Amino acid sequence: MSASSALRRYIFDALFFAYSAALVIYGAMLIFGGDTSQETAIAQMNTILLSLLGLSAVSAAVAVGCAKAHISTLGEVLFASHARRLELGKIGFFKSQWGLHLTATMLLTFLVSVKVTEFSFYELTDAGGIAGALRLYHGLTHANLGLLPTAIAQVVQTIFIAFLATVIAIPPAFVLSFLGARNVMTGNTGFTIYAVTRTVLNIARSVEPLIWALIFTVWVGVGPFAGMLALMIHSLASLAKQFSEIIEDAGPGPIEAIRSTGASPLQVVWFAIVPQTLMPFISFVIYRWDTNLRMATVIGLVGGGGIGTLLIQYQGQAMWPEVGCIIIVIAAAVWVMDVASSYIREALR
Amino acid sequence: MKTLLSVRGLQKVYPNGVTALKGIDLDVYPGEFLVVIGLSGSGKSTLLRCLNRLIDPTAGKIIFKDRQIEKAEGREARKVRRKMGMIFQHFNLIPRQSVLQNVLMGRLGATNPWKSLFHLFAPQDVVKAKSYLELVGIADKADLRADQLSGGQQQRVAIARALAQNPELLLADEPVASLDPATATAVMEYLRKVNKELGITVVCNLHFLSLVREYATRVIALRAGELVFEGNPQDIDETWFKKIYGETARDINVR
Repeated sequence: MSASSALRRYIFDALFFAYSAALVIYGAMLIFGGDTSQETAIAQMNTILLSLLGLSAVSAAVAVGCAKAHISTLGEVLFASHARRLELGKIGFFKSQWGLHLTATMLLTFLVSVKVTEFSFYELTDAGGIAGALRLYHGLTHANLGLLPTAIAQVVQTIFIAFLATVIAIPPAFVLSFLGARNVMTGNTGFTIYAVTRTVLNIARSVEPLIWALIFTVWVGVGPFAGMLALMIHSLASLAKQFSEIIEDAGPGPIEAIRSTGASPLQVVWFAIVPQTLMPFISFVIYRWDTNLRMATVIGLVGGGGIGTLLIQYQGQAMWPEVGCIIIVIAAAVWVMDVASSYIREALR
Repeated sequence: MKTLLSVRGLQKVYPNGVTALKGIDLDVYPGEFLVVIGLSGSGKSTLLRCLNRLIDPTAGKIIFKDRQIEKAEGREARKVRRKMGMIFQHFNLIPRQSVLQNVLMGRLGATNPWKSLFHLFAPQDVVKAKSYLELVGIADKADLRADQLSGGQQQRVAIARALAQNPELLLADEPVASLDPATATAVMEYLRKVNKELGITVVCNLHFLSLVREYATRVIALRAGELVFEGNPQDIDETWFKKIYGETARDINVR
């Protein structure tokens, strides 16, 4: 075993042992009524952090000890040499020490998850609860089709929100994608531009459209405009990243060939890279429109306009037959867009 | 005789520490068909790419038509490239573009950049491009998409694209290595035609000795980044062959 893989094994084992131990302690606190409320947790933050640190130190010692005592661990199995792996493979999973440890930890994680999520068959089978759900279901299946014209008008608005968000996002995404492609941005200056572009895009993308919608409803007021802006920002960041990856996949051969003709860097991009990427670009744009339609519905729930806003209004008043009608319209629109988009993307291939 | 291109002490060390060229001295004379042989990884491709400055050499001098070009950057490097056409093992045409468009890309360096973005090439360039397609025998395919052609046809389009640059030197990086023997010979015939009829000097990397003997007017051999042979193609006998390709190598006759 080489030094680096040995180190990786120790780090992995230490973390895994620390996790197991922390799980046991947390589980014990849950079962024996230890105080796990948020206030206590915050108050005792120092104690918790210190004990986690101590746990890691002890686990590191245990990890090294296991290696010395030839006790097989998960880290060893993952990072061992090929020969050692074959040797370890001869011992059955449930007979091996690492197998037992892994099984016990997984089982414990499952049990703690059940406890933490307040999983309860009693709630699920409560007669009153089921009756309520059935009433709702009855409402949904007896949709009030009188609302159909309104619902269709609103879903059309949603489709336009999704469309405009996609279309406005394309030009800036197109430009940014070249700045965020490693094979276009060569040299030191290039790398800086690449790194900055990628970082900004990743941050913008990691903020969910739902959060953007909350920001824009405050900025421009509740309505379709806020929803469109939220989707547009998210589409811009997503498309730019996807475009960049397509550009990085472009064959280096044509790029070299166009450079060899004495073309300028801009001409190389335009003649060698763009033709190779156009079809995948279009394919991703259509997929983005399709995604945006579904997202626009959700964004409508927080005031982004369109069918989502209509849905949350009727849901708030518990008018289930109307909600049923709206859901039918949403499902139909999503289904049509889905089929159309996959058909077009297939044709573009 | 005056040289077209002259290389002195050319070295290339890649950023990962690999030394591809260890001080090459080389003269290329106008009108010759110079073939470079050597194993894969011997530095043939690096040498060609240093000549037209697709790669920056680490040290040494390159003199092309009495001008020192080894340090040429940006606009100046592009001017050098315009005078040297290049063809590649994998043809490197732009897919989804017509054959004629591909040939016209040889004119990019000479076209106003803003006009070129809208594919506005000068009418005389279009006429020229068609005549080069005629020269390589595929004028009838001008409107087809480049990726619909066979390998041999694609390489002929690549030759036409290089010719559209109006070059004085044609660099060919293993132009027939991914073609079948019959097609390979046909492509080599077109390169000879370009060399003889248009008087364009050719520097060509090749693998097969039978092709070398048939087409080269002069041969150099590289081994591990060093020039180990320079002379007539007929002079490469069994001893030299083993020196260049290693003791276990045997010549494969492709024809």
